[in-house]
Amino acid sequence: ADITLRATANSNENDEDYDGLVVFKNYVENASNGAIAVELFIGTQLCATGEECLQGVAGGSIDIYISTSGGAAGIFPYIQVLDLPYLMSDDRVAEEVLKGDFTRELRAKALADSDNKIRLMTIGNTGGWRNYANTSKTIKSPGDLKGLKMRTVPAALPQQVATAVGAAPTPVPWPELFTALQTGVVEGTANGITDIMNMKFTDAGLKYLTLDGHSYMGAFWWMSEDTFQGLSEDQRKIVVDGFAALQQATFASPKRKEIAAYQEFLKAGGEIYVPTPEEKAVFKDAVAPVFDWFKTEVPGGTEVFDMFNAAVASAQEAVDAERAADLK
Amino acid sequence: MLSLFLPLFLVFLMLGLPIVFGLVAAPALLLWWNGQERDIVLLYRNIYNGMDSFPLMAIPFFMLAGELMNRAGITLRLVEFAQAVIGHLRGGLAHVNILSSMLFAGLSGSAVADVSALGSMLIPAMEKQGYSTRFAAAVTAASSIIGPIIPPSGIMIIYAYVMGESVAALFLAGIVPGVMIGGSLMLIVRLLADKENLPQATRRATWGERGKASLNAFWPLMTPVIIMGGILGGVFTPTEASAVAAGYALLIGLFVLRSLKLKDIPDVFMRSGLTSAVVLLLVGAAMAFKTVASLSHTPELLAEIILGLSDNPLVLLFLINILLFIVGMFLDAGPAIIILGPILGPIFLSMGIDPVHFAIVMAVNLTVGLLTPPMGLVLFVTSSVSRLRVETVARATFPFLLAEIAVIFLITYFPALSLTIPRLAGFVE
Amino acid sequence: MTLLLALARVLGALNAAALTLGRWLGAACIGAMVVIILVQVLFRYGLGNALPWTEEAARFLMLWMTGLMAPTAFRRGGFVSVDMVVSMLPRAAAGLVSLLLLCLVALVLWKGVLIGWSEVTGFGGRFTMAAIKVPVSLDLSKWMSIPRSWMLASLAIGVTAMFSVCLELILRALVVLTGGRDRLPPIALTHTTLGAE
Ligand code: NA
Ligand code: NA
Repeated sequence: ADITLRATANSNENDEDYDGLVVFKNYVENASNGAIAVELFIGTQLCATGEECLQGVAGGSIDIYISTSGGAAGIFPYIQVLDLPYLMSDDRVAEEVLKGDFTRELRAKALADSDNKIRLMTIGNTGGWRNYANTSKTIKSPGDLKGLKMRTVPAALPQQVATAVGAAPTPVPWPELFTALQTGVVEGTANGITDIMNMKFTDAGLKYLTLDGHSYMGAFWWMSEDTFQGLSEDQRKIVVDGFAALQQATFASPKRKEIAAYQEFLKAGGEIYVPTPEEKAVFKDAVAPVFDWFKTEVPGGTEVFDMFNAAVASAQEAVDAERAADLK
Repeated sequence: MLSLFLPLFLVFLMLGLPIVFGLVAAPALLLWWNGQERDIVLLYRNIYNGMDSFPLMAIPFFMLAGELMNRAGITLRLVEFAQAVIGHLRGGLAHVNILSSMLFAGLSGSAVADVSALGSMLIPAMEKQGYSTRFAAAVTAASSIIGPIIPPSGIMIIYAYVMGESVAALFLAGIVPGVMIGGSLMLIVRLLADKENLPQATRRATWGERGKASLNAFWPLMTPVIIMGGILGGVFTPTEASAVAAGYALLIGLFVLRSLKLKDIPDVFMRSGLTSAVVLLLVGAAMAFKTVASLSHTPELLAEIILGLSDNPLVLLFLINILLFIVGMFLDAGPAIIILGPILGPIFLSMGIDPVHFAIVMAVNLTVGLLTPPMGLVLFVTSSVSRLRVETVARATFPFLLAEIAVIFLITYFPALSLTIPRLAGFVE
Repeated sequence: MTLLLALARVLGALNAAALTLGRWLGAACIGAMVVIILVQVLFRYGLGNALPWTEEAARFLMLWMTGLMAPTAFRRGGFVSVDMVVSMLPRAAAGLVSLLLLCLVALVLWKGVLIGWSEVTGFGGRFTMAAIKVPVSLDLSKWMSIPRSWMLASLAIGVTAMFSVCLELILRALVVLTGGRDRLPPIALTHTTLGAE
């Protein structure tokens, strides 16, 4: 191969990110007829955190990297807009938004904020939607979360969300979370089902899961702008198409993986509660203050919030129209 | 090419390069030689990131707690307590030495702290009662390694961090093996009593004296209860427990026992800070080394070789114990765990060995390695405390070492010994 | 040799002064770490109100403690090494081997200095810390998120100080090789043996 792209994901081979990368690798290597090779580094061999890996992307030691919104929030704080709860109604809408111009607008902002070093290639999914899970009781309303010690990352936004629904946000580092749930240092956590089962949190007493789907677990795929622009136009087209295929794959992968995860969760004695639309509406009302907080406190917050909401509105419209047409 | 980093590291090590520099220099030189200069920056970042971890914070805190307890004279109270309980046995002070180590282990996570604290007190005391310096040094050295086996434990923290295991589970799993080592050492003292012509203590302590000694040791002896109770009760995480232990030691030293003066504090902080800085940097360097190890696919190669030796897990466990023991002769436990854990752990896990069980086998084996020349930290410290040559201490320790090897094999082949307590506490399925 | 000796003395005095400051700051870091974690336990368990900034602040201090303390440990010979082979060599040969090793260390540290400061000033340093902030107005009404470069600087400072110590040790080794062992000012030896074991 003339060119080798070094891609890394800090997860493991069971993760959606890996599925996406495999599809990407296969597409790019085939379409370029072997001229471009993709080398995968899964785990923390090259770098372990968003800061470190993105620095690698900016400095050229890593070509492709996937971060969550939290991993890149220290430099692009506005991408946490995806973590704002209950703004998108379902997968169809979310996928419509992420395939559209919203991603391109974010790309332009990120390029500007990184001195043209880091390029947002696409946004996929990594683990479905965040749901509330806890060790003590069924959650049907914000009242049930009152005072519940809910694990969050130390970042401000998840803390605001937890506070808004009445929970007591409790920062615990990921490696200590299992023991913290087991001993009661925290009583709940907001993760996707595949993460819950990969970490065997059910063994630590996590039992009650409420499928409120409060935020979409977006996966941000970054590429070194220098590497990207160093490719010929044909090669760039192949890479862009490869990322489109990767996005499709990561949209599909969690939907397939969570089936087994939910079964395992039930088998381990877990209880799943699906809130009614009315109950979800109560949750959504409770988090309203978080939107104001995001607009005033997060740099670039108002602009991106409005951009996102406009994108969601038109995506909802498009999906509704398609649905209506399909129902005829 | 890159796989040469391991032999190159060993060459540097043998020439006397500090381990922390060897761990970085060997891979860095090879990367440079390979023209992979841009990857050298990965080494630096992995050192930084290897240290930037919340669970590792337990290391400075436990160092601090141990240093504070020593300065506050808590060690002395533990020895007096042990003396009142079993001092009347034949070879009384030798038994007291071992029991004190077991008690001290509940407060401290380090064998070196144990030797320096107890050795400087007990070796002269034993000499005065007619024990040979050789024997006194041997008992002190051999029993000090209980320190990191009974919780809390610096080595278990490092293992849990590197391998992603639960610190609480490893702590609990160390209790029985630690007590077994203590018991087996006492047995050896009993067996050697005639040969060494051990003195008989003058008289049995009265119940009044015992009560007084217990009262004096009460607050220090509450430390392990607070640590494990707080962790299991969900009051704090294992990492936070280490800060609680340091805070508690400070509190009883300053206000309950009043043996600690405010002016002692800066020096105590400095000493524990210096020790922890060395250990943290070593962990960081080892994480960077590990990165290069996995880039060069060495773990897979080694795993293939090991699995090629036998497909019987019991045989492999035997062979691995031999390997660990040999490694322990040349490397100290911390670096050995960081380098070998990620290589060996997955092999045995895939054969159905419980991760906590394997962790204990590995940790105990490598801890015992602190007693074996040529590289045995505990031997070195004992030699400086007792003013005996390292070889003399090593030879005198030999019978005790045999007992400890026997314990290693017992815990290897009877997993229940280590797993029962964590299982009862719900930490192991 | 007189020149070497003079250089060794000057650099030694500079290092000793800088490292003393480092030790005091490092001791303050470890004290603050204990307080911060105890405050967190109190707030979370006692008052049911967990604080978001404690974990990051304690890690910040731990890295600074390491960066500030490690150079002292290096200067006092506190880094664990195996001196089995060297102790079997004749004195002159052993001196030569340790001089060569020190040069290797200097090379490694110099590369570390270069990478370290480019990390601090580079892209990764511009990230903001997730939770710790510092007040930027006297009435504490305005707070600023601090950039990650403040934390990255800990290791860069540590490596730089270790490089300076390494140069001093090289000078001392040269003085010893040229027969001036007795005229070197002593370095306080570490009074603890080091290791997690
Ligand atoms: Na211990
Ligand atoms: Na050894």
